[in-house]
Amino acid sequence: MKKINSACIIDDDDIFIYGTRRFMEEVSFCEDIIVFKNGKEAIDGMQNYLAEGKNLPEIIFLDINMPIMNGWDFLEEFTKIPNLNKDKVQLYIVSSSVDPFDLQRAKQFELVYKYILKPILPKQLNEILEAID
Amino acid sequence: MDTNFSILTKIPLAIAILDQENIFIECSDQWTEQFNKKRSDLIGYNFLQVFSWDSSELATILNTKLKREALISGSEQIVKNKKKLWFDWKVQSLTHNKVKYKYLTLKDVTRAKKLDDLIEKTGKVARIGYWEVELESKTVIWSDITKEIHETAKDYKPTLEEGINFYKEGEHRDHISKLVNSAITTGEPWDTELIIVTVNGKEVWVRAKGEVERINGEPVRIFGTFQDINEKKRAELKFNETSERLALATKEAKIGIWQYNVAENELIWDDNMFTLYGIKREDFSGAIDAWEKSIHPDDKERGKKELEMAIGGEQEFDTTFRIIKPNGNIFHIKAFATVKRDNEGNPLTMLGTNWDVTDLKTTQLQLQRSEESFVGAFENSSIGMALVGLDGRWMQVNTSLCESLGYSKEELLKLSFKEITHTEDLEKGMDEMYDLIKGKKESFQLNKRYIHKKGHAIHAFLTVTRVGNIDGKTSHFIAQVADLTQMVINKEKLRDVLKLTREQNQSLLNFAHIVSHNLRSHSGNITMLSDFLRKEKASKEIVELTTMLKSASVGLAETISHLNDVVQVRTTTEEKMTPTGLEKCILGTIRNIEAQINELNPLLKINVKKEHLVNVVPAYLDSIFLNLFTNALKYCSNKRRLEIEVTSKIINNEIVVKFKDNGLGLDLGRYGNRVFGMFKTFHNHKDAKGIGLFITKNQIEAMRGKIEIESVVDVGTLFTMRFEKA
Repeated sequence: MKKINSACIIDDDDIFIYGTRRFMEEVSFCEDIIVFKNGKEAIDGMQNYLAEGKNLPEIIFLDINMPIMNGWDFLEEFTKIPNLNKDKVQLYIVSSSVDPFDLQRAKQFELVYKYILKPILPKQLNEILEAID
Repeated sequence: MDTNFSILTKIPLAIAILDQENIFIECSDQWTEQFNKKRSDLIGYNFLQVFSWDSSELATILNTKLKREALISGSEQIVKNKKKLWFDWKVQSLTHNKVKYKYLTLKDVTRAKKLDDLIEKTGKVARIGYWEVELESKTVIWSDITKEIHETAKDYKPTLEEGINFYKEGEHRDHISKLVNSAITTGEPWDTELIIVTVNGKEVWVRAKGEVERINGEPVRIFGTFQDINEKKRAELKFNETSERLALATKEAKIGIWQYNVAENELIWDDNMFTLYGIKREDFSGAIDAWEKSIHPDDKERGKKELEMAIGGEQEFDTTFRIIKPNGNIFHIKAFATVKRDNEGNPLTMLGTNWDVTDLKTTQLQLQRSEESFVGAFENSSIGMALVGLDGRWMQVNTSLCESLGYSKEELLKLSFKEITHTEDLEKGMDEMYDLIKGKKESFQLNKRYIHKKGHAIHAFLTVTRVGNIDGKTSHFIAQVADLTQMVINKEKLRDVLKLTREQNQSLLNFAHIVSHNLRSHSGNITMLSDFLRKEKASKEIVELTTMLKSASVGLAETISHLNDVVQVRTTTEEKMTPTGLEKCILGTIRNIEAQINELNPLLKINVKKEHLVNVVPAYLDSIFLNLFTNALKYCSNKRRLEIEVTSKIINNEIVVKFKDNGLGLDLGRYGNRVFGMFKTFHNHKDAKGIGLFITKNQIEAMRGKIEIESVVDVGTLFTMRFEKA
């Protein structure tokens, strides 16, 4: 039994998704990997899980620059979901941006556990696993 | 029995013969003449009735019986027709042929009597009394006035010695004694002014005149007049005192007085004149000589000419000239004179003054020099300067001020400062101005705006200083107007440049981050993929990885190409701007994407005026419209036929272009300023790259234009662009 049941990647970059998924499998990160291509899809998906009484993913990797609804907008909508058990969700922002503005903004969301610069490598995935212990 | 008295008629006296009943028997021609009566009106009539003398003394006598041969004479005043008349009369009784007659002479003495009266009255008014001394009997007679002057009783009879003793003891009494003795011995009359002391102890100035009458060389009588001249004398003494004071004053004030006798060509100087000219009276033959030798050679001709003109009556003598004193020093003399003339207007004498005005003149010259230097500084000052009256009018303005305000001097002098002050600044400095007028402050400074003749604002730093007159009251102001307009414009320009720079810096920073982000995304992917490839054994996976690697590298190349476009916009705009027809550009763009347009068959409303030329880089304008059209096509609504409307109009030297569609629209509340950001995409569209509007905005701003967006989701989008009018 893996430590983490399900993890979610929200990103529009197919190559990034492919790579991350591979690394996650390499380190046996979780049982299930869920992918959303933008913030809008993600928020809709999350609300569906809740509506069906399912558990939310324990780990979320969120990109910032996405079409339709970007990472920030997703965070705002996500925070608004009522009765959200935030303790059960660890959210990581994963972005190529080194803009201090983005780093600063990330800190303003209680929900954001950490800001990770792309790409996510197996080493970082292991660290996350260790941190959960 | 008739008695003929006709012989009497020729007697040169006014004689009448009356009978015992006072009836006229006969009268002389003189009588009829004197009383202006005809003989026929008299003879046979009663004298008293004809002459209405009933109540007189003469009537009383005539009505009494006269003694034989008695002669009675008298003098009386008769009032007739409200006139006073004086008569001397004589009556004598005479018997002729045993008949008694009255012989009457009557003489009108009114004239003589009046003259005496007048003399007496005049003496009284002039306070002239009479006196005489009979030397043999030592009898002294004083007239009433003489007694009045001495304040003695009316019946006072002085002795000669007492008369002399009325004179004030000392020089006055000694003087009169000497004069009287001298007159008695030599016969010399006297006429002098001395003080007497009256009975009441009052000192009175009198004029005493006297002479001696001689018979056979022996003095018998001294007589004369005695006049009270107290008031006149005291006034005269006072005048003399004043004159002395004046003389003293002119000496103290160093005012020289001179007199020129025209006919004799003679100039007379007082001592002050010689002192003033620093020369000695005895060194010169006369004042003319002295004057001519002293006057400065450059002023001599003018001085002489002015003197001649004054004598000729052409102008007043009021001049200033220089003199050279013997020590070589030059002094300025102010001269003034009046000319006395006879009844025909011929000049007699000229009376004038001279005084030293060197100090004044020196001060004046210094003042003039200081004024000249002020005028020089005023005119040549690079800042605007003006003299302003209390009423706000420009009294004097310099060239700099005229240049700043765009008016000529003549135009400006007709205006008040209020008329060219910016309306919003009219109240500025008013309180300070009143403080200056009241003398509470000497100057103040403030920033204010004027209006240039052409209507634009002139920013100035104003310094106002009060100028007082001799009483210390404010007479006018000196205004210094430093034109700050260029500075303000430069400052505004600088602010704009700063803003632009800040924006550009911001944009560049943004750009750098975007560059970094995008390059990192692609390079990160490439690194990751190649790492996988290196380890991968399965050939199927290898093919997939290779495909992804290819895609990543294309993405990288595309990103670099976009970034290059952006850099291009930033660096090469300015020199390529040319006037470009808006309509031509729009129609060209539509032609280029005809195929895409035909696919959707939109309704195109292009209301752009052919003559609207914009100052742009033509390629940018093509790119801008291409972007807008493709966006409109890309994000059209599938619920309705696409409509695109483009209009243009001129507003404030700019051409405003509106580009409107009825497509999907954007939620600006959500996307706001990110609309024009780089690599921002808002629609889930396969071609959305997030570069179009970023480049469009950059291109427009590089051409000093502006772009704004208004949009409503599912209604449409309106872009408003402003370009420089060519």
